[in-house]
Amino acid sequence: MPANESDQLHQLQEENLRLQKINQALIERVEAGSSLSEAPYAAFEHAAALAEQVRERTSELTQLNAQLHLEISERKAMEKSLLEAKQEAEAANLSKSKFLAAVSHDLLQPLNAARLFTSALEEKQLSSEIQQLVTSASRSLNDVESLLRTLVDISKLDAGAVQPDKARFCLADLLNNLGSEYQQVAASKGLTLSWVTTQAWVETDQHLLARILRNFLANGLRYTPAGGRLLLGCRRQGASLLIQVWDTGLGIPENRLDDIFDEFQRVQVEPANGKDQGLGLGLAIVDKMARMLGHPIKVASRLGRGSMFSVQVPLAEGVERAQPSNEAFQIKQQRLQGAKVWVLDNDAAICEGMQKLLESWGCQVTTATLAEQLEEELASQKEGPQLLIVDYHLDTEVSGLDVAALLAGRLPRELAVLVITANHSHQLKAEVKRQGYQLLYKPVRPLRLRQALNQLLG
Amino acid sequence: MTSTPWAFSKIRSPLLAASTSKSDPWQAAAELAAELNHPDLRWVVFFCSAEYPLPQLAEALNQAFPAQELVGCTTAGELGLQGYAQGSITALGFSQQAFSLAMTLIQPLENFSLAEAQKEVNQLLATSKLNFAGQGQHFAMTLFDGLSSQEELALVALNAALGGIPHFGGSAGDDIQLANTHVFVEGAFHTQAAVLILFTTHLPFEVFTTHHMLPLETKLVVTEADAVQRRVYELNARPAAEVYAELTGVAVAKLSPLTFALHPLAVKLGQDFYVRSIQKVHADLSLTFYCAVGKGSVLTAMQPQPLLPDLQRRFAGIQSRIGKPLMTLGCDCFLRRLESEQRDEKEAASAFLREHRVIGFNTYGEHHAGLHVNQTFTGVVLGEGDASQ
Repeated sequence: MPANESDQLHQLQEENLRLQKINQALIERVEAGSSLSEAPYAAFEHAAALAEQVRERTSELTQLNAQLHLEISERKAMEKSLLEAKQEAEAANLSKSKFLAAVSHDLLQPLNAARLFTSALEEKQLSSEIQQLVTSASRSLNDVESLLRTLVDISKLDAGAVQPDKARFCLADLLNNLGSEYQQVAASKGLTLSWVTTQAWVETDQHLLARILRNFLANGLRYTPAGGRLLLGCRRQGASLLIQVWDTGLGIPENRLDDIFDEFQRVQVEPANGKDQGLGLGLAIVDKMARMLGHPIKVASRLGRGSMFSVQVPLAEGVERAQPSNEAFQIKQQRLQGAKVWVLDNDAAICEGMQKLLESWGCQVTTATLAEQLEEELASQKEGPQLLIVDYHLDTEVSGLDVAALLAGRLPRELAVLVITANHSHQLKAEVKRQGYQLLYKPVRPLRLRQALNQLLG
Repeated sequence: MTSTPWAFSKIRSPLLAASTSKSDPWQAAAELAAELNHPDLRWVVFFCSAEYPLPQLAEALNQAFPAQELVGCTTAGELGLQGYAQGSITALGFSQQAFSLAMTLIQPLENFSLAEAQKEVNQLLATSKLNFAGQGQHFAMTLFDGLSSQEELALVALNAALGGIPHFGGSAGDDIQLANTHVFVEGAFHTQAAVLILFTTHLPFEVFTTHHMLPLETKLVVTEADAVQRRVYELNARPAAEVYAELTGVAVAKLSPLTFALHPLAVKLGQDFYVRSIQKVHADLSLTFYCAVGKGSVLTAMQPQPLLPDLQRRFAGIQSRIGKPLMTLGCDCFLRRLESEQRDEKEAASAFLREHRVIGFNTYGEHHAGLHVNQTFTGVVLGEGDASQ
């Protein structure tokens, strides 16, 4: 073997040995691996591995933390803009309600005049053709008024302008009035309405309760086909009274019973009388008013069989009193014949309408648009009127109440006063009550006017 | 040269720094005390050259600071008011309004167990709670006798006991004499010992570590080693010094600390490289390292990069998180200073340290999160303001 080959071989052998040793050292290291050693270097390796894990976790957590911070600030920003949007919406809603209340109020005034005219026309002897036209015009006005009233009600409720004025009173008058009023309406639609009155006294806001019951009745009339029946009645339940309106109408599907009290909701069945007359706000108003009064509302219905709406009113304790019967109520209707009635309204159209209507009921009517004219009348008719119908708002410095007080002071006999107004304020209502006068809100319905006159002249 | 305190030394500040290059221990102590012996300053951390006669220095410091608790160590160079320094003392005073320092001597270091570490940490936490009113956060600093060769095991135990408390520190040096490294606590210098200092403060702070190395292709396998002595006999089954000399192109006889600084070796664990610096070459061609190396370790040859860009990036990042820095307490490997001298970077590096108010020392090894490494810069940046609000 040549010397250089031998050297080469020797070198390779040494190289091989070194590689074996490196291999051995690496194997030892790898096999010592993750075992927790007391040796300093192994401890260092272990600590380094731990430190790396901690670093990774820390950076993950830091990222997560930063992300959470970002989300929180985004949410806060969102919350802020939502709050702003809500406030804007509330402000817009409030101004909408105020606008609606104002517009509706302005519309009521001319409507009032129009109704008085048509009512007077209806009392005339007319050819049947014209009579039909007048009836149609009158019905259309009815619809307009009812829609307008609904809008006023909703906007006032939304604007928080209505405050309940609770008092104790006997339900008999209210039920009798409603019964007789809606009996006529029902008859015109080929429906039968009967009512059972009660001598029970309740404690609530009479005006709001009447509105709730009117809505129930109007609803029943709308969804009951001709030939059907409606019933207005009461049932005691512990310390309260359930005032119920039953109908034999179309009924309400079970899945809709909850949302019929929402605004603009109507059960999608054809109204019984062919055309829809509502905005779908009636029951929403009922719901708002009942909440305000704290009176539970209930509805029960069977589809195709009919519905029952009820309002639960607390009974006034310890008050029971004999009440005029239905017959007495009928007799009162006669009191208008020959009654001397003066009307003061700054709107000449209203005066004219009133005159026609009141004369058709047999009253002796004197109208005036200025208080001074009444003074002149007083010079010629010494005994003056039995009853004064006066608009509260006269476009002068003196109000209707002032004129009534002046006039009453100069008459030998007691003067009954009926104040007509579109002003729903509490103060006015209280003031009228204090003076012992009656109050009617515009637009004046002939039937209610007649009832009020009967009451005042009785 | 006289000490030059920073402008805020006369006003109430959470921290006050001072340096002295007086070689007489009594004069040096008096000069430091003139700046730092303030009733608000309850603790003084100092770093001194090992050139001082240590027993006398201890006595002088104890007399100069009767009301302060002193803690510190010897160095392989100081980081002071002027940046890099040698043969001097640099000191940092901590006010009791912003800080609480609790410290303990760990001696002996052999067989320092997790149970002992837990006991010490708990005691320091209890002391801090007593001394520091209000909301404070903790960080811990360790100072080790840099020739004790005990850092790895003790640090692992301490780190486990510290739990989530951020930790950094350094091993004491002696200007590459490799004979005389000490830590100071309880009024005296100690060898074969360490100090654990627990800081509590309401100042914002961030503990950091950084290095400036990139890996090269060459890998060396440790085939013979004494892990306890940190001595490597063979690399790639050949005499260690020979292999290293070939790698660096420097003759074995000419291997010096500067060679070690410019041609570092590191182990890769996970994604990170940890430098294991060579301390000296033995006649039998074995190498002693400044930290533990085990048989079977794979050493990667590393290439140091310029120091400053890395430092600038690191400090900018910290400033973005904790706001304007007030002061930095730092442990900087002495090999980095050698590097910067070699590359003519020293003046720029010194200026950077001065501008960033870094007080500290050149170490024989750095500690961070329980790890003992070399050729890094670790420390804590203290910010202004109040992190508890």
